[in-house]
Amino acid sequence: MTEQPLGLDSAQDYLNRLIRELHATATEKKQPLLLVLEYLSRHIKLTRDEIGALRPDGTRGLSSAADELEEIVGETAKAANEIMNAAELIETIATRTEPEIATALINAVTRIYEASAFQDITGQRITKALRALQEIEGKIAALSRACDSLSGAMGESAPAPGDAALLNGPQLGRDAFTQSDIDQLFESFGKTP
Amino acid sequence: MSLNKNMRVLIVDDYSTMLRILRNLLRQLELNNVEEASNGEDALTLMKQKPFDLVISDWNMAPMTGLDLLRTVRGDSQLKHTPFIMVTAESKTENVITAKQAGVSNYIVKPFNAETLRAKIGSVFGVQ
Repeated sequence: MTEQPLGLDSAQDYLNRLIRELHATATEKKQPLLLVLEYLSRHIKLTRDEIGALRPDGTRGLSSAADELEEIVGETAKAANEIMNAAELIETIATRTEPEIATALINAVTRIYEASAFQDITGQRITKALRALQEIEGKIAALSRACDSLSGAMGESAPAPGDAALLNGPQLGRDAFTQSDIDQLFESFGKTP
Repeated sequence: MSLNKNMRVLIVDDYSTMLRILRNLLRQLELNNVEEASNGEDALTLMKQKPFDLVISDWNMAPMTGLDLLRTVRGDSQLKHTPFIMVTAESKTENVITAKQAGVSNYIVKPFNAETLRAKIGSVFGVQ
């Protein structure tokens, strides 16, 4: 064998050749070894078939899920804009009403503005999920293209370099820092411009 | 003391909804002199055209992030004293530390409320 890892096709060819040569050998001790080699050969065939089943349409489901997620981002943006249109209209009308009513309406409108940030937050979360799906899709495509060169295709993603490592998007609720946590940390550094 | 209602504010975010939210909340603070940019690069172009009294910027944008914008601003002799508030969903300790080291004036984590925005702007200008 060479120093380089064998691809699946080559490995199975190699094993099958070995099995044929062992069958042709007259020794009695070949049987346990033959059983192991035949088991390995069957296992490689199964793996190859499974990888083969990924092509050419195996990632279609992932692409479709990614499209659906992109649609969600677009739809929530539209909805948020409609909500804002209505809120801005209420705010305009509120200024023409009695002060007490105007204040109540403007307070309610402020809460609508604040809540409309959901679109930004969910958009960022969905974009994050979308990128993960696209990465999986890319790896599956690479794997199905390269049955002969499996090594490396399924490796861990390299960590993002420099400042890019700081771009993680919204934290999950259980891990997220509150504004008060941020303030405490921020104030611990002292004043800047 | 109160906020200077004529101050020129630049808001920077790649989500148009967030720009709209910021503009509306600033209007409620009677800050109507507001301009928008959808990334750091466009923001910098606007800043070089005419000075702003306050920049409120998102972090995660392309082609220039809010952090890169902040560093560029702090490194520019004309712009370096511009108050700069980061408004972002990036809320990890290392984010706050990095932004602070880059010279951010204050840091707001999304989602935020009107009171937080008012308080942070007030804090930057020494106004309660």
